[in-house]
Amino acid sequence: MRVGEVMAREVKSIPFDATGIEALRLLQEMKISGLPVVDKENKLLGMFTEKDILSYILPSYIEKVGRFIYQDDPKSLKKKFAELGTVKINQLMRKEVITTTEDTALCEVARIMLTQRARRLPVIDAKGRLIGIIAREDVLRAFTQGMQQA
Amino acid sequence: MLKKLIVLIVVSVSLGFLSRGVGLSVHQATAVTIFSVSILGTLIFWNFRLSFAFLGTSVLLLSRTIDIEHLIRFSSLEIILFLVGMMVIIGLLKEEGLFAWLVSMILRIPHLTAKKFLFAISILSALLACAIDEVTSIIFMVAAIIEICDYFEVDPRPFIICSVMTTNIGSAGTVLGNPIGILIATKAGLSFEDFIIKAFPLMLLCLCAAVFVLLIWYQKAIRELDQQIKRFGANEILMRLISVPPERHLKISLVIFIFTLVFISLHHRLELALNLEKNTILLVAPLFSAGIIMLWKWRKAREFIEKDVEWWTLLFFMLLFAQAGTLKYTGASDILAQRLVAFAGNNLDVLKGIVVWLSAIGSSILDNVVLVASFIPVMQSFQSMHVNLQSLWWALLFGGCFGGNITFVGSTANIVALGILEKEKNIRMTFFQWFWIGLTVGIITTAIVWIVLLVVPWY
Repeated sequence: MRVGEVMAREVKSIPFDATGIEALRLLQEMKISGLPVVDKENKLLGMFTEKDILSYILPSYIEKVGRFIYQDDPKSLKKKFAELGTVKINQLMRKEVITTTEDTALCEVARIMLTQRARRLPVIDAKGRLIGIIAREDVLRAFTQGMQQA
Repeated sequence: MLKKLIVLIVVSVSLGFLSRGVGLSVHQATAVTIFSVSILGTLIFWNFRLSFAFLGTSVLLLSRTIDIEHLIRFSSLEIILFLVGMMVIIGLLKEEGLFAWLVSMILRIPHLTAKKFLFAISILSALLACAIDEVTSIIFMVAAIIEICDYFEVDPRPFIICSVMTTNIGSAGTVLGNPIGILIATKAGLSFEDFIIKAFPLMLLCLCAAVFVLLIWYQKAIRELDQQIKRFGANEILMRLISVPPERHLKISLVIFIFTLVFISLHHRLELALNLEKNTILLVAPLFSAGIIMLWKWRKAREFIEKDVEWWTLLFFMLLFAQAGTLKYTGASDILAQRLVAFAGNNLDVLKGIVVWLSAIGSSILDNVVLVASFIPVMQSFQSMHVNLQSLWWALLFGGCFGGNITFVGSTANIVALGILEKEKNIRMTFFQWFWIGLTVGIITTAIVWIVLLVVPWY
């Protein structure tokens, strides 16, 4: 089975000039945790997830400082969250995105998802344009259907 | 990129030919060329430094400039193992929340005033750099400073600069503060006690001078913070912002760390009592503690080794030490040492000045480990010329640490701190915002060391 047979073709994406808060609202409306970011020609620029928001609003050094418990919200948290109204998505999104193509085998996608810890992979054409998205759920559903048919 | 690569090759090869021109043998010129590639490689291609070190070492072996036996001997495995042990211990302390606890202590400074804050961060930065290492200590010092400055809505830059500069100064105080400390201690046969008796007081003197300069330099920032403290009142939110539960594991980790420090500080006496080779206990103490930690936390042992030990840096150090050793092995450093001594007119005082200022200027541009590694073979060659070395080792240590204050790329602590500042506050410091205060502190503290080394016979 190939990616093209399983992927979702109607993909909602975030325009590259959206602000952080606009992108977050879109995620909340769609009740999903991440979306691809594209330019005017629909070329894939990056991936934006809820995690990127958390990385932005929380201090970058929290992991380096070691284990501790926040007893209160730091003052910077509100400030950083307010900044999301002006910060452009390209400053928040992950630019190194693992992608796949329509004719990739489903098992290969499953391998990438497992080894790269990816929940979903954007599917692009030869020109780098976004043509679909495939999630873990799609892969597993396809495997289940395949088993039932066999 | 290509332009930089051409510059690197042209400069290194020219240095090689120049070495041949001044009478060095083929092997000596090869050693000089390869070592120059590694030094310039770190300067121009920081991210590729290990690739250059791998390639250079291969060329040294293939060209028979050095043999495998000597390469291994010069790679100073003892220093690498010491650093591995310390990195595992620091990894445990971080995991158990010791550093976060220290951050919370800084946030809870009672009756905070701007001067009190500046004194506290300066003294803590220096002392913590002495006890752990400069890179680890600067991370949580910067974390605390940013939280406090955020709360009082003031520019964190002056206070971060104060903390970084005092961290660099403090890192010269003990063997643990900076990798060049252990490098010099093992190569010079200096003990932790020597550092405590000679380096630590001189570090404190320079720290006082630096704090004095910083207090004057940042008067405006201090006034602003005082005004904001009055405006916002007591730092109640900061006081309860974070907590680290004083769990048993944190206490055990602290006990392990203190035991390691005790053994390190008493290593010379223990070695004498047990009739052990010089610096055996110094090197064994962190290794032994790291072994205990990995037995205790056996589920995470692999994680400590894989995540907390910076193999990239350590491998670079190993190969760099081996390449620097090749200068000694081929006799290239002997020639350089003879020329230096002749230049100094066989005068030790002039030589002290050359070493302290050259290392300070050099480490303002280069990584100080690279700089000290290049100096070591020359220093060892001085020994064969019956030059009294100890004061020169101190000159190298202080020059190597204090020179890091001059530019914002002068030490790893500077780069780490400014990286956090940029990421957190979107503040990119310009070269000259750092340079003038860096130069002032750098010159004053290096000059103090120079004068002390010249005047006090103790050194």
